[in-house]
Amino acid sequence: MVSVVNSQQEVIAVTPEVVRSTSIRIDGVSVSYPVGKKRHKTILEDINLEIAQGEFVVLLGETGCGKSTLLRMILGQERPTVGTISVGGGVVERVDARSGYVPQKYSLFPDRTVLDNLTMGPETSKYHILGRLKPGFRAFRRQVREEAMQQLKHMGLQASDADKYPHQLSGGMQQRVAIAQALMMKSSVLLMDEAFSALDPGTRKSLQRLLRNVWSETQPTVVFVTHNTAEALYLGTRLIVLARTSHSDDCGSRVALDMKLPGTGMSLARDGKEFLDLVDHVEQFSRGTQDETISPQGETI
Amino acid sequence: MATFSPFDIQARPNRIFAQMLSCVLFAVCIGLYIQTSVKRHHENSEDRVVPNARQLMSGIHSSVLEPAEESDYIAPDNASKWELFRHSMIWTDTVASGRRFLISLVLLVPAVLLALHIGLFPYFGAGFLRFVLFFDKIVALSLLPILFIVFGIDEWSKIALIVIGVAPTMILDVTQMVKAVPREQIVKAFTLDANDFDVAYRVIFRQVLPQVINSLRLNLKPMMLFLFAGEMIASSDGLAYRIAIMRRHMGMDVILPYVLWVAFLLFFIDLALRVLNRRMHPWFQS
Repeated sequence: MVSVVNSQQEVIAVTPEVVRSTSIRIDGVSVSYPVGKKRHKTILEDINLEIAQGEFVVLLGETGCGKSTLLRMILGQERPTVGTISVGGGVVERVDARSGYVPQKYSLFPDRTVLDNLTMGPETSKYHILGRLKPGFRAFRRQVREEAMQQLKHMGLQASDADKYPHQLSGGMQQRVAIAQALMMKSSVLLMDEAFSALDPGTRKSLQRLLRNVWSETQPTVVFVTHNTAEALYLGTRLIVLARTSHSDDCGSRVALDMKLPGTGMSLARDGKEFLDLVDHVEQFSRGTQDETISPQGETI
Repeated sequence: MATFSPFDIQARPNRIFAQMLSCVLFAVCIGLYIQTSVKRHHENSEDRVVPNARQLMSGIHSSVLEPAEESDYIAPDNASKWELFRHSMIWTDTVASGRRFLISLVLLVPAVLLALHIGLFPYFGAGFLRFVLFFDKIVALSLLPILFIVFGIDEWSKIALIVIGVAPTMILDVTQMVKAVPREQIVKAFTLDANDFDVAYRVIFRQVLPQVINSLRLNLKPMMLFLFAGEMIASSDGLAYRIAIMRRHMGMDVILPYVLWVAFLLFFIDLALRVLNRRMHPWFQS
């Protein structure tokens, strides 16, 4: 397997690696839960990853391979059965403000306007529930609101959208706001769980472009979970494929492929044949059992 | 009209016709009442079971402008209508019942907050949920004798009956609402550096509040039911007390206006809550 990865890396120009500090470290992580008596279902098995500051990591895999579980563990929502995960040097034990989060659905607070959704982060982190009675709060709020309006425009939304409620926005607009909301916290890690999967292709494309721009401006560490190979190749600087090698319960997913991507955003339009070959190559891994008899199918792009 | 069939799901009745149809049952009820009344008065002109318009008017007059029999109030000769109304039977009864109703409403607020904590904080859930589930199954009215012994037979036993009767259901209902809030919302709030109380009160409570108000609207009637049960069994004032007293001498001319007045009051409270809910939470889509 190693030789295949190496040969593939030669095909694509590898970006010159700058020595950067580790942002997320995943150490010997396995996840399993009991099903019935004495039986365990293993989801993830012995995952070891080191993600450097500023990397754009795309986690790719088929449905149920545990990629979302891995993301939730980095977030702190779930705990690994074995092993540790640390973000920014500290072990993750609960959900906190170390990472920003953009889920596929329910990413915005429905009871707040777009502007209030954006200002919520900075406001709560500085003034908790009773701190809002302090004298400095109003001035601080005004300042955060200005910042939020700029962020909003930066995300391609109109100033008139600021007073709308999330249900008045389209799905694409909602995700733009959700990204802006996470960015307002200026955290160095951004975790996105199938963030664009519910969108139509056109909107999806424009949001992918937006996300790439945002990433290249501030260079946060991004972990992006998706099941769409084309999206993965377009967005990431590093691609990690999770797949299980057999379908028995005690066999969890492992890292099937871990490769660097050029980081310039590969797409069919620009890279043509090379892109299609890469899609085939990646999907061979994500199917897990590398069965050559199945004719490779390129995902619709 | 050609395609009129009451069993056509896809029918599109025109608006005026639909409006008229919605009034039919009201008209039928009033018609039946009048017919029965006329018939009974034909046999006995002093019939009190189905009072006619004249009797009803005098019943309404005596309940709205005259003090109750047991009241010590004697109206001065030049008393204004308003002065009379303030000492009238219906007003004093409404105030007495309304006071009990409002106090129990206020006492439901801690119950809702407890429910928020049960739904959100695992330790609260572990400690309280099973108990509330069991407590909910106790028939509140069967506790009434105990309440009379513990709180005495005046105000607090009735208020306790309402709260004990409605609170467990409200708690279970609100707990479900809290649990139904998508997990993403809580996780997202924590990534925005919220603490536990921010999440509880500024994220979850705000989101479930319109549903809580809707649940309260549904519970208005059980509340009234418990209030009436308490008042009918042991009370010396209140709307249900009056209805129970009037039954003894067949005072249907007062009972009927009282029944309609209570229905109107409940309808009004419900409407007020609905309008308030819509004004306060423009983002809420039921």
